[in-house]
Amino acid sequence: MRLLADRRAYRFLTTPTVVILLSCVIIWGVAQLAFPGFASFGHIRYMLELSAILGIVAGGQTVVVLTGGIDLSVGAMITFAAILGPSITLLVGDSGIVSVPLLLLITAAIGGVNGLAVSALRIHPMIMTLAMATILTGVMLLASGGTAVAVHSPVVVWLANAHFAGVSISILVWLLVAVLLILLLRRTVLGVWIYAIGTSQRASELSAVNERLVHVAAYSISGFTAGLTGVLLSGVTMQGSIGIGDPYLLMSIAAVVVGGTSILGGQGGYGGTIAGSILLTTLTSLITVINLSAGGRSMLLGLLVLGLLGLYARESRRA
Amino acid sequence: MTREEAEAPAAAAREMARPVLSAVGVYRSFSGNPVLQDVSIAIHEGSIHALLGENGAGKSTLINILSGGLKPDAGEITVGGESHASLTPLLAQRFGIAVVHQELSLAPHLSVAENIAFGRLPRRRGLIDYPRLATEVHALFADLELDLPLATPVETLPLGTRQLVEIAKAIYRKPKLLILDEPTSSLAAVEVARLKRVMLRLRAQGIALLFISHRLEEVLELCDYVTVLKDGRRTASRPLAGADAAELVRLMVGRDPGDLFPPFESRAAGPLLVVEGLHSRRLKDVDLTLRRGEILGVGGLVGHGQENLLLSLVGAEAHRSDRMELDGRPVRISGVAAAARLGIAYVPSDRKIEGLHLPQSLHFNLILPTIRHLSRHGLRVPARERATVTDLLKRFAVRGGRAEDRVVQLSGGNQQKIAIGKWMPLEPRILLLNDPTRGVDVETKREIYLMLRRLAAAGTSTILVSSDTPELVELCDRVMVLAEGRVRVVLDHAAASEEAIVAAAIGADTRERAA
Amino acid sequence: MKTSSLYGAIFWRRNSGAWGIMAAALLMLVLYACLFPDLLHLSGLARLSQTWFPLAAVAMAQAVIMLTGGVDLSTGPVVSVGCVLSASVIDDGALPTIGGILLVLAVGAAIGGLTGLVVSLLRLPPIIVTLATSFIWTGAALLIMPDPGGSVPDGLSNALAGDFPTPIFVIAGLVVLWKLWTLTPQGFASATFGDNPVGAFRSGVKVETVRILAYAISGVLTILAGLFLAAQTGSGDPTIGAPYTLNSITAAVLGGVAFTGGVGTMRGALAGSLLLTAIISVMFLLGISAFYQYVVQGVVILVAMTLPLLRRN
Repeated sequence: MRLLADRRAYRFLTTPTVVILLSCVIIWGVAQLAFPGFASFGHIRYMLELSAILGIVAGGQTVVVLTGGIDLSVGAMITFAAILGPSITLLVGDSGIVSVPLLLLITAAIGGVNGLAVSALRIHPMIMTLAMATILTGVMLLASGGTAVAVHSPVVVWLANAHFAGVSISILVWLLVAVLLILLLRRTVLGVWIYAIGTSQRASELSAVNERLVHVAAYSISGFTAGLTGVLLSGVTMQGSIGIGDPYLLMSIAAVVVGGTSILGGQGGYGGTIAGSILLTTLTSLITVINLSAGGRSMLLGLLVLGLLGLYARESRRA
Repeated sequence: MTREEAEAPAAAAREMARPVLSAVGVYRSFSGNPVLQDVSIAIHEGSIHALLGENGAGKSTLINILSGGLKPDAGEITVGGESHASLTPLLAQRFGIAVVHQELSLAPHLSVAENIAFGRLPRRRGLIDYPRLATEVHALFADLELDLPLATPVETLPLGTRQLVEIAKAIYRKPKLLILDEPTSSLAAVEVARLKRVMLRLRAQGIALLFISHRLEEVLELCDYVTVLKDGRRTASRPLAGADAAELVRLMVGRDPGDLFPPFESRAAGPLLVVEGLHSRRLKDVDLTLRRGEILGVGGLVGHGQENLLLSLVGAEAHRSDRMELDGRPVRISGVAAAARLGIAYVPSDRKIEGLHLPQSLHFNLILPTIRHLSRHGLRVPARERATVTDLLKRFAVRGGRAEDRVVQLSGGNQQKIAIGKWMPLEPRILLLNDPTRGVDVETKREIYLMLRRLAAAGTSTILVSSDTPELVELCDRVMVLAEGRVRVVLDHAAASEEAIVAAAIGADTRERAA
Repeated sequence: MKTSSLYGAIFWRRNSGAWGIMAAALLMLVLYACLFPDLLHLSGLARLSQTWFPLAAVAMAQAVIMLTGGVDLSTGPVVSVGCVLSASVIDDGALPTIGGILLVLAVGAAIGGLTGLVVSLLRLPPIIVTLATSFIWTGAALLIMPDPGGSVPDGLSNALAGDFPTPIFVIAGLVVLWKLWTLTPQGFASATFGDNPVGAFRSGVKVETVRILAYAISGVLTILAGLFLAAQTGSGDPTIGAPYTLNSITAAVLGGVAFTGGVGTMRGALAGSLLLTAIISVMFLLGISAFYQYVVQGVVILVAMTLPLLRRN
């Protein structure tokens, strides 16, 4: 009996998610020694708020990657949401109660177009989402004229900055997204189908999996989470500016892969991505604190991510 | 008589006695599981040596070791007069060992000629010499009595032809030992005959061949020597003279084979599925009547529409028909999900790519086709899933793993059981099987045949596409033979003999089609 | 079949996909020339070739990687490194110029080779490795030159980006070199093992070595784009390469190079980059705002992707 419990405990403790979270805690502890205040409640809460922003967009990316695809349009989508959001709020003329969900519906629909093209037209996900990103960038430049757009919507500001019982609303939003995504992936038929398509599209089609639904749903979810991230970002910076979402493209993919989800699809989950997001945010915070030049920071981040990938991500060999 | 002449017979005997390759005391484990234990084998020039054994007996591992793809944990390999503890692909090539694996490893977009010489293209002043390549490949084809187009990309060629390209590729390197891993498993009769001719020619040229096949008639017909593996150990190594199929099976399985096929009895009742004028890209004007409780066989040369017929019936391929009625009611089968709702299930021939999700668990694979039934409002019901999985694993006697283990770890036979079993919760009225016993060991074949008979007796109708003619002859109530997408003949059980089926298959096809 | 025509037959078959895009590129050029006859003069041609060169170089670089079955997400940052490095080490005078150029190219080969080494050693998908290395090279470019500056000898600028369409000859030279490379066994293997790594390994191809060589070549091509940009602008800019990552993928895919590996030609990649360049140039000269260029670019690639599918049905 004791052996069984030990074995289960061992298996739990060595899952990538747990290992990564433990590493985060260790890093916090070590960093605290070198930079007192790093592991203070305030700073950790701050890092978690930053992680939420990455974690949410990485959630949609996780679902897409699980289907064997990739969403290269999330960066542009975030910027799109940040820039277009205020305009929609002005159009609808409310505090954001209706305009924010409307915005998210739009980004989800755009994501749905990605999924539809991937499924019906059989365009490779990388191409489709790349083309969509290009088109979105053009539309945004047209709409904003290249200048930043100020954020007025109270709902947006509240979502991004308010606290409830000491916990940031943004973290609560992340929690909600996490619960929904994990439920989707583990407890629904659609979740099973997502993993099936990611493993083998052909075998899935022959097993009565609704391939169209999977792709449209996956990319719609990605569009939704990217839009939500854009809303939060614009609330934090109080404006929507060109390029605000660009760094999140590569970071979202990194969070997914570091978290143990295979880039080839069919293996992994959102739990790992959550851990990956926190780890990456921890690393970027640490790098910021070390006070290197912009070049040094980027280089160090790249080296660290490469190291992490070497440790955690593996080329999945299909049998 | 000179001294040399007197010694000639002894010299010849010594020549014969010296093997091209021999391995002694080979051991190999994977993650603590012993796969090969104390295996020895010796293969001589100018002989065809059979390697027999059930799936999981260790054949693939052994040939991987012999060809340098794997290192043994212990043992010695002697080749070219030298002894080694292990080989590498490069070393194996240098010693003249060539392998044709089951999974073809051709570059899809390259031409036949480039594939044949891949990795060893003729050079002139550092650059690839295409004219010489053409000459050499032509010479090779002439020697083997083959005629394939040189510049065609191999991905456009049918599987049987691709296999020949793979074999030509191995022979291009003028091997001393050619290892063939189940080369005939997806070939039909005519292509197999072509392959046999090539093998005999090679033997006549003094090349040693190591031949792995599950088809015992082929082994008995072609081979001089046989080594049998069972559970990782060698149970026999002897000349084939005097052996028969029953004895070979006994050596592989450890007991008397009994009959491979269950006794034939027909419980076929009234018509269940009536199709008239089925047209698709590959099918022309196919009429088909499937009766309740019937096993309808579909034969013919591989690639002549058999698979397309099944894919059309399960809704995975576009088709149209003048009439399609299920149970007297007209139906349109628009997709796999629709077919499933009608009670039609399809098991593809390629279980690795189409039939199973190999990296996923047994549980995952078994619940996938019927997940909608096992769930409620789109939410999964774990208890229902677990019950279904446990039941299926027991019913099909799946060995080699628990529900959480990945399917890729199972043997071919057990994998095939999962590929078929996953449809059972659907309680299919029509079961469409595409070459279900391909690459499956003898014991599992028996189990599958028994299962099909039982299902038929219980009222399930089966359409069985098979390139294994004995299957069609022994199991089926009727056999339909397709040629070039048309129905050439439908034979009753009494009239369905191997000769009749093959004759119908090649009837109008007197010229060899290679492109 | 006559033995001497085997190569011809293979060549024709392999390029059959690229004719379409080459025709489209040609059509676009004709349209360009009709609207702006300046193209038919040397200076107009020179200008177009200068706009074309960086994208052509990165498209070829990306194609080399894609042929091995991978994708390079670090193209842009490496272009930036090439740009700032060139603006730093290439000095006036013939010898220093040549020496500087060789140094930059060598660094490109080293960057590429290193990337290939990491892919081989860590056994990670190239898209992931280059994702991480893109941060590294972005940082490197900023470290070499935090703010735009540096200089490039006037001689070099005039030679590469002057009134003579030099870039066209450079591209032609690169294509010839690539053709020769693919006629060698290693080069042939590097362009063909992408969709058949198992078979290549079994045939005795040293897959890892060949991969590193391919990545090194790709690195040289990418850094060449950066060098050219430095010559063109006369100085170094550490973020100039950013758009080239996605652009290179777009151009290569437009040219018929597949993600799966083993499919595609340099000619196709060049045609794809030329088509894109021509479209953008035409729009620019027509006074259409830069914003629309993005939209058009996105639509072009979607149309290009769907056309062959429609044709097949």
